[in-house]
Amino acid sequence: MDELLEQFLIEGPEQVQQAGEALLALEGRPGDTALVDQAFRAIHTLKGSVGLFDLPAMGRVLHVAEDLLGAWRDGRRALSRGAMDALIAATGQTERWLGALAATGGDLPADADAVAGDLVSRLSRALDSDAPASAAAQATPVDTAWIEALFRDRDLDPARHPTVTALRYAPDAGCYFRGEDPVALARAVPDLLALRITRRNAAAPVAADAYDPYACDLVIELLSAAAPEAVKGPFRFVPDQIQLLSWSPPPSPSAPAAPPVLAEGPRSLRVEAGRIDALAQLVDELVVAKNALSDLAGQMADGLAPQAAAQILGDRQAALDRLVGRLHRTVMGIRLVPILPLLRRFPRVVRETATALGKEVDLAVDGQDVQVDKAIAEGLFEPLTHLLRNAVDHGIEPAAERAAAGKPARALISLVARREGDHVVIDVADDGRGMDPARIRQAAAARGLLPDRMLDSLADDQVLDLVFRPGFSTAQAVTDLSGRGVGMDAVRAAVGRLGGSVGISSASGQGTTVRLVLPLNLVLTKVMVVAVAEERYGIPMDGIVETARVDPARVRPIRAGRAFVLRDTAVPLLSLAALLGLPEESWTDGEPCRAVVARVGGDLVAVKVDAFVGRRDVVLRPLTGLLSAMPGLLGTTLLGDGHVLMILDVPGLIAAAPGDTAPVGQGAP
Amino acid sequence: MTVEVAGNVIRLRGVCAAEDAETLLSRLQAAPESEIDVTACRHLHGAVVQVLLAFRPNVRGMAEDIFLRDWVIPNLAAPR
Repeated sequence: MDELLEQFLIEGPEQVQQAGEALLALEGRPGDTALVDQAFRAIHTLKGSVGLFDLPAMGRVLHVAEDLLGAWRDGRRALSRGAMDALIAATGQTERWLGALAATGGDLPADADAVAGDLVSRLSRALDSDAPASAAAQATPVDTAWIEALFRDRDLDPARHPTVTALRYAPDAGCYFRGEDPVALARAVPDLLALRITRRNAAAPVAADAYDPYACDLVIELLSAAAPEAVKGPFRFVPDQIQLLSWSPPPSPSAPAAPPVLAEGPRSLRVEAGRIDALAQLVDELVVAKNALSDLAGQMADGLAPQAAAQILGDRQAALDRLVGRLHRTVMGIRLVPILPLLRRFPRVVRETATALGKEVDLAVDGQDVQVDKAIAEGLFEPLTHLLRNAVDHGIEPAAERAAAGKPARALISLVARREGDHVVIDVADDGRGMDPARIRQAAAARGLLPDRMLDSLADDQVLDLVFRPGFSTAQAVTDLSGRGVGMDAVRAAVGRLGGSVGISSASGQGTTVRLVLPLNLVLTKVMVVAVAEERYGIPMDGIVETARVDPARVRPIRAGRAFVLRDTAVPLLSLAALLGLPEESWTDGEPCRAVVARVGGDLVAVKVDAFVGRRDVVLRPLTGLLSAMPGLLGTTLLGDGHVLMILDVPGLIAAAPGDTAPVGQGAP
Repeated sequence: MTVEVAGNVIRLRGVCAAEDAETLLSRLQAAPESEIDVTACRHLHGAVVQVLLAFRPNVRGMAEDIFLRDWVIPNLAAPR
């Protein structure tokens, strides 16, 4: 790919992000000119970058968006909801196009022109029709050149006066006869920064002998550091003769660009030089350690006694061990990125979805100081988008229904990440209608997901978990359901690939919470190595609750399946060999069988294996290519002896297993 | 009397009200080269200001009143 384009694809999304964040923040604080500036700068920079490439559709959209923001920034326009929607749609589309560019290496999708045309017309409509900045202003666009001139003439410092209140007062000709004195009014303005008094038509010659001093022809223009309300005070009896607006000086071209208002996390991995230095130092030490081994090899060749050699080797191995440990921690530290920048991308997603559905939804995001592995941060965007869209679409009720339930019209979804031990927990909670277990039962029955009797035996919270089953959700099911369900199985699969798990809880009428639990990092995984059918497999320790030896006498066949009682709880017993499609040993050879008890979606499931081989810390390599779509496989790792160990995703295996081998939940009948 | 004439200097003193605009105007029409001294001035009514703006006489002196000194007089002294 072109180097320039590569750079653009790194920086572009950050700028889209900045613009989007600023626009969303502006909805809450419409008067904040710093935010307008931020959005304007980001869009302006994007437009400039796009100009370097042959992307006319994108360029057109950004150009009009910039115009609209510029008009807003200069106070020529107040931004309406429609304009805001159009701007947010434009940033969203730009982001999608950037994604497409990255995927194709420089081409926009075929429909880009049509999409651009649509956006451009929406934006220009907003540009043409938006209401002026204040009620006191005229319907025509407000001319702000005089403000700028006044600001400059008075040598005001934009840094000291980021926002000023500008007032233009053109008293009508008869004002003196009403006892008004425009100069006295100007005198009453607080915190005056500039005052200019001119004749209304300064260029017109004065008729020296017919001049009427009582036909007022003054125009008073002033800037004040006080708030518009305070400035307006003295003029309260002449509201029709003033123009009042809050104005900010444009960033001066020579001044260094102000730092973006909102912190922005890098999406590519940018590493502090200090960390790289630390790495380099570690590598140096490794070289020294390696040389020490060469020494030892030499000494042994010269006849060093084996016992002395063993001791020296032991020491050096310990030194190497420490070094490798430090190296590993350093590298892991480099891979950790803050999660907040990822979360900050979602308010826009939520807003877009909510607007499309005609709902009012706020998204509260929190995840200060939470860091995750970069791969996890990247892998979370899709599933979280999915969850949030579902929450807006299916979780949040229409306004009328909310009103009837006594809830505020604006719904609230919270997206909160926090660290718990070695895990990151992300909650997506809405205050919507919640999920109705009865209707999920109906839907599951209608889809034939489980036999009716089994459904009846499930507790309500286990019923909710059914939404994660493949095949549960179709468009039909979703419209019938008061819950959610679009592609929840995809969410579970995506989170599973990251080594995490998903659970759901809901209170009818009060909302739904989906909880994602993810490992802090993907780099080092503790696995239990088990043997089955003379093969070895790894099972992540994360998911293992315990290991058990089960006396065959305690195993009871239950229809096609088996179960046993583990400390007063019935636990279904599955065969790993069967799950993997391997030849299975007989179940009734009289010896206790070994089982790994794992937690699958909140329930215990035992998986029978032939033997426990041991525990290992492994570097998990995610699957790529065709294998990555394989259910039940998390990845592979290389064992010390050169063998490749497959790491299994037990819940995934169970979910992918056909029919009755996959009982849901621990609820054996 | 807040408009005093001394030679070709017109002194504006104290609070100059709307009525003073007419006095000032007739004086300026009679003697267009007059200078205006605002040293002792405490307020200028809008009507007075607009006469000064229209005829642009030389305005001199530092007004006692800070608002006039800092904000109004500079407008009168500034070249068109």
